[in-house]
Amino acid sequence: MLSPDSLSAYLAVASVLFATGVLAITTRRNAIGVLIGLELMLNAAALQFAAYGRFRLEGADIQGQTAAVFVIVVAAAEAAIALALLFAVYRTSKDIDLEQTRELRS
Amino acid sequence: MIEQALFWTCCLATLAGAIGAATVRNLFHAALLLGLCLAGVAGLYLFLEASYLACIQVIVYIGGILVLTLFATLFSSDIMGAVQRTPLWLRLGGLAGAALASLVAGRLAQFAIANAAGIDRQRSAPGSVPDAIDGTRAIGDLLVTSWLVPFLLAAVLLTATLVGAVAIVKRYRRGASGGAPRA
Repeated sequence: MLSPDSLSAYLAVASVLFATGVLAITTRRNAIGVLIGLELMLNAAALQFAAYGRFRLEGADIQGQTAAVFVIVVAAAEAAIALALLFAVYRTSKDIDLEQTRELRS
Repeated sequence: MIEQALFWTCCLATLAGAIGAATVRNLFHAALLLGLCLAGVAGLYLFLEASYLACIQVIVYIGGILVLTLFATLFSSDIMGAVQRTPLWLRLGGLAGAALASLVAGRLAQFAIANAAGIDRQRSAPGSVPDAIDGTRAIGDLLVTSWLVPFLLAAVLLTATLVGAVAIVKRYRRGASGGAPRA
């Protein structure tokens, strides 16, 4: 059932990937840990797009891969902005523990 | 046979990397495990005949985002080997998070596999196996035809990200050097 040529295998991997992302976001206190969780979730989404595009009933279609490209673009933009904000928070409070962070401006 | 072995290696690298990245206490190790996970996903893209996606996964994720994350990890101090004191209620919160995550994983896998099993059954009919497609060229064609508006929006998004990231960091550097930060 779970072989390289079955949709189920990819979807199972993507599900676990997404759930570990949820786990990281809910349990990490450090902002970088939360960012890692976000990346995991976005990866799961991109993997699902590619898998569904490859295993369409009407034959493989490239639209899924194109959608995955946009997911990766959004992930890159999000990582850049998140790390810039993190840098700003670190500058003002010398800590990036999300429990302690209350403001962005000193 | 060797294809199966490679596929399972990719799956295992992805899952082990993801679980490690979500749970390992040392954030530097977590970021490195994220790299393992991203490499595994790149391998899965190759199995999906998405060679272009595999390339940009390696270039953008491993070469860009992961290096940025590692840099940020090293930049913020007391990460390496720092063991945080964790109060009991937070540990209980972690357990609740793990329960929530396994619930999400279970439901997602249930829906996805139930859905996928139907597709797999129907696809296994003879003659319905799709041909390999010339991916990169087709993606390029799609990006300038039916996906043109999202493509331009992505360009605007990336430009705004570039300017915004520089603006955020610059503003706070000026604020830290004594002068009042300008809004």
